[in-house]
Amino acid sequence: MIEGSEKSLQGWEPEVGSDLSLEQVIDLAFDYRGNTTVVKTDGTELSGYLFNRNPDVPQPFIQIFDASGAGPFTIPYSEIRTIKFTGRDTAAGNSYAAWRKRREEEKTGGATPSGELPA
Amino acid sequence: MSVPVSQMWAVASYVVKQRLGGRRRYPLVLMLEPLFRCNLACAGCGKIQYPAQILRKHLTVEACLRAVEECGAPIVSIPGGEPLMYPDIGRLVEELTARKKYVYLCTNAILLREKLEAGVFKPSKYLTFSVHMDGLREEHDESVCREGVYDEAAEGIQEALRRGFRVTTNTTLFEGASPLRMREFFDAMMDLGVEGMTLSPGYSYSKAPDQDHFLPTRKTQELFSRMLANPKRRWKFNQSPLFLQFLMGKRDYECTPWGNPTFNMFGWQRPCYLLQEGYAESFQDLIENTRWERYGKKSGNPKCRDCMVHCGFEATAVHETFTSWKGFRDTVVATVTGKP
Ligand code: SF4
Ligand code: SF4
Repeated sequence: MIEGSEKSLQGWEPEVGSDLSLEQVIDLAFDYRGNTTVVKTDGTELSGYLFNRNPDVPQPFIQIFDASGAGPFTIPYSEIRTIKFTGRDTAAGNSYAAWRKRREEEKTGGATPSGELPA
Repeated sequence: MSVPVSQMWAVASYVVKQRLGGRRRYPLVLMLEPLFRCNLACAGCGKIQYPAQILRKHLTVEACLRAVEECGAPIVSIPGGEPLMYPDIGRLVEELTARKKYVYLCTNAILLREKLEAGVFKPSKYLTFSVHMDGLREEHDESVCREGVYDEAAEGIQEALRRGFRVTTNTTLFEGASPLRMREFFDAMMDLGVEGMTLSPGYSYSKAPDQDHFLPTRKTQELFSRMLANPKRRWKFNQSPLFLQFLMGKRDYECTPWGNPTFNMFGWQRPCYLLQEGYAESFQDLIENTRWERYGKKSGNPKCRDCMVHCGFEATAVHETFTSWKGFRDTVVATVTGKP
């Protein structure tokens, strides 16, 4: 988890291997505030918002609403090859500090367009 | 304290019933989130950072009512997103008040006037608009990242009061809050005529975009001690005086994470309103299968270390009031003297 920083996982396409376990990738995707794409072991993909994961049950699973909002779809860990961070990170760049900076720039006639909000 | 007697009685009899029934973990306030959409984008808010398809979705009234039934808590708080943007908010509130649930509709009040004029709500002792107000004009507009919101909210409050609704305010305090300015804010809210105020320190969500301006424990205690020292008799707080004493550092409490369970389109949030470690399919699953020992100060969980937020600790205070003579006596004394 990249906490308290402006760094984002957006665009990352992790390879699961000896340095990075599937469980770690799933945890990062669960914490990610954007859509991801689940690549399954059969080669099919599902894009959407991964809102739940449970590693503490006999058959660990994730749950996802797809990109149209349909779902939830449940996928066992055993059917997942990796997860790509394909969607926009909705939390990135929206910090209080960033808003203050934009506001100061507005006040001093800086380049930021007026009325802009952290979307 | 400004909680009406009928509400206090409902909560007291509920707590006693749970105790007599031998129920160890029972909820007091259901945090019901019918949607995540909001017409503001406050920097401290982790509730609105979702992709578009999630922000477009909302729960049905029927799903909300099932959750209320399952959970059984006497109070239902409807935070957000912004509940006034929920298309069925009028029907939801009507159904809940008909079930004699005390509803706290937590709103930024931007749409309040419009909804009242459209006749969406009827005044009831069971319905309270809990308006988000983080301080005086300058501080509030800063906190919600938009100018003019304080004035809109104040107008909404006045309109609701004029129409006979119960109105309280809810205030989250962040790093840099000035005790003096907050005391002026309490006066301003009392001048507006609100029934009571609720206060809570902010919590640094692990998923929230901003981690810099939240308050750690010592600073929280200092701020609340200074802010609430020699309180004016006219200040009314719509919350447990024992919880305020806890915020001032006069009491040491452990968290009751199941006290304010949260339900939204993802399910029952584990373990609490603040942390999102997964979702349970049913309330029973939440209560029975959450590893509660992993949470609270004693657990050593770093996410819980500095937490003093109302949704974890107010239930502990209320529990003490209604299950111990000392807690009851201390609550009565604080209520009568007006001194937390
Ligand atoms: S008004 Fe409330 S829900 Fe909306 S962005 Fe602000 S804190 Fe979040
Ligand atoms: S102390 Fe309680 S309310 Fe606070 S984060 Fe931990 S479990 Fe949640």
